[in-house]
Amino acid sequence: MNRVLAIARKELAHILRDRRSLAVAILMPLAMVMLYGAAIDMELRGLSVGLLDQDRSVASRDFGRALSSSGFVKVVERLEDREQVEPGFRQSRFLAAVVIPRGFAEDMASGPEARLQVLVDASDAATAATADNYLKAVVALVASREAELSSAAPFELRTRVWFNPQLRSPDFVVPGLVALILMMICALLTSIAIAREKESGTLEQILTTPVTPLQVILGKVIPYVALGALDAALILLAGRLVFGVPMAGSWWVLAAYCLLFIFIALAVGLLISSRAGSLRVAMIAAIIVTMLPTMILSGFVFPLSSMPWVLRLLCRIMPPTHFLVIIRGIMLKGRLWFPIETTVLVAAGLLLMTAAVRSFRQDLE
Amino acid sequence: MMGPTLSMVRKEFLQLRRDRALLFIVLIVPLVQLLVLAYAINNDLHDLRVSVLDEDRSPLSRRLVEAVYATDIFVPGPIPGNSTELEGQLLEGRSDLALRIPPGFSRELLEGAGPDLALIVDGSNSSMAGRGAAYAQAILRGEFARLAEEEMLAAGPGATRLLTVPRFFFNPVLESRIYMVPGIMVMLVTIIAALITGMAVVREKELGTLEQIMVTPLGSLQFVAGKTLPFAIISLIDLSIATLFAMAWFHVPFLGSPGVLLLGVLGYLGVTLGLGLLASAVSNTQQQAMFTVWFYLIFAVLLSGFFFPVENMPEWAQVLTWANPMRFFMNIVRGVLLKGAGLVDLARDLWVLAGMALLTLSAAVASFRKTSA
Repeated sequence: MNRVLAIARKELAHILRDRRSLAVAILMPLAMVMLYGAAIDMELRGLSVGLLDQDRSVASRDFGRALSSSGFVKVVERLEDREQVEPGFRQSRFLAAVVIPRGFAEDMASGPEARLQVLVDASDAATAATADNYLKAVVALVASREAELSSAAPFELRTRVWFNPQLRSPDFVVPGLVALILMMICALLTSIAIAREKESGTLEQILTTPVTPLQVILGKVIPYVALGALDAALILLAGRLVFGVPMAGSWWVLAAYCLLFIFIALAVGLLISSRAGSLRVAMIAAIIVTMLPTMILSGFVFPLSSMPWVLRLLCRIMPPTHFLVIIRGIMLKGRLWFPIETTVLVAAGLLLMTAAVRSFRQDLE
Repeated sequence: MMGPTLSMVRKEFLQLRRDRALLFIVLIVPLVQLLVLAYAINNDLHDLRVSVLDEDRSPLSRRLVEAVYATDIFVPGPIPGNSTELEGQLLEGRSDLALRIPPGFSRELLEGAGPDLALIVDGSNSSMAGRGAAYAQAILRGEFARLAEEEMLAAGPGATRLLTVPRFFFNPVLESRIYMVPGIMVMLVTIIAALITGMAVVREKELGTLEQIMVTPLGSLQFVAGKTLPFAIISLIDLSIATLFAMAWFHVPFLGSPGVLLLGVLGYLGVTLGLGLLASAVSNTQQQAMFTVWFYLIFAVLLSGFFFPVENMPEWAQVLTWANPMRFFMNIVRGVLLKGAGLVDLARDLWVLAGMALLTLSAAVASFRKTSA
């Protein structure tokens, strides 16, 4: 145990000496919480719109005014003719154009229906579809206000959003960031630390001493476990103090699962460092293996249900996917028991750690 | 002037050819990533599981349910027996949305009593909650309008209906992949260009070979040129392969002119390689260089409009995006490929990139003069 602690102390000295890496390891998670918490917003707000009024009647002007004062769209430009729409899209000045055609006032006064044309820059398909739905809703709203209709729907559709009623983005982002940071710090930094000693030849020097390989590994990872846990705590604290992210479940259960996830991340880091030939390859491999599954193949930002089945299967065997279900479940839903996810995580952890230790031993012999 | 630069370029390529793992990382990994990411990064909604608790069990309620399942957005989830089970399914994440049709719904509807229909969404899943709910609402409302037209129900108020006729430019089938693939290409080329350049110079520092180069008559401009050119060439190759691949495999269109795209690429590579060199100038170890570049990458990607439209960000974040070269390059690549944007349309972005490239590259040259002195 003393030997393990001695190696841990040595590793800690390395970490503390490299001030900039330490600053990045501590400041980056905080900066990410602030920026991602505030800036990620999947919902479309303040859609920028160009307005083309071909009717130039009292009714069309009123409609235009009602549209811009609805608070949902920003009329950024008044267009003179249809030719201006496409250049506007090409230069990304607005995302949609609303055309009030000639005869709009007459149709509104007499006809069974009046038509508006909505032109949408669909190069961003998701935003375009949202913009279209959005404009439909705004137009319906404006129309019903204009006509002062009691557009009493025959049934009441009550939509309720559970677990995060206002769909606040910090509530989604903070749990995801905990997963990302734990993976980054524990897997990436460990693999770098070991690959560096390998590259500079100092690992062999350590191994000529009476320390066993297992003690070396333990000693090297302890400081990073502490650093990872510190980062996770900082993120959760910042999320709570700055953004008021809720905690519906139990802190203790969360801490236990975080430790389990740290164990997995360490195994990944060890595996990479024992396989990689050089520090450079270890770093790049670690980034690819940790960032990609945690950010993109985990349901953090992009829905798993929209992926083709091959990728869905891949996501299902990735530990971050399950950890994300757990941490969101605990923090937002107040769930405490995750039989499937726990089984997968424990199995993945044991498998990876066995593989890592075996490959590490082989590597040293 | 050219001679020494060329021999440095040759030296870099020799080193690269010997480092099989690195070669694999710069040439093969980006393509694999493009393939995986293009399928994974998808904002279209598909296969969301909807649990329906139909306590009405009438032809009308069945029709509403069928309408929801008729799209490829929603698929049937587990069927709850009562509302406790329905809650449990949402809690355990076995379904994404739930629809509850109360007993007597159709009778009350026909009587005009305005019964309640409850749609419940799992709000802990950010990637689908908001839009999933909006789609479900639109489908239910639309189905009701159709029912009303079929005069199964008393007609609504006889006022003028206001219809919107949508027309989608550039991507009429609304496939989000076509939009995402150019974005992924930008991200990958940035990672290759910034990270590998940044680490390449520091590696020489760590190994002590940088000092050996510094004692040769090689000027700092020649040194910077010799270090950046190989990675510029590799990035160009990567980008060309990725573009061809995107066109052939994902049917991404190429509406604009290759010349305009090349201008943008050169400007952006200038900025990115300059930043990579600057990162290596201020770093002493590969680890520091990687962290510095990485710190930049994480924020550059977020503030580029790749995941989230710049328009959706708060004011202050939108101001920050003006300092982000990736935002302008993203606009150029998407504009040229998808919208056929030309020189005039992209003038602002091209000028900004050119200015940034000049700034970062001259700063890089200046910083190496200092270290060599």
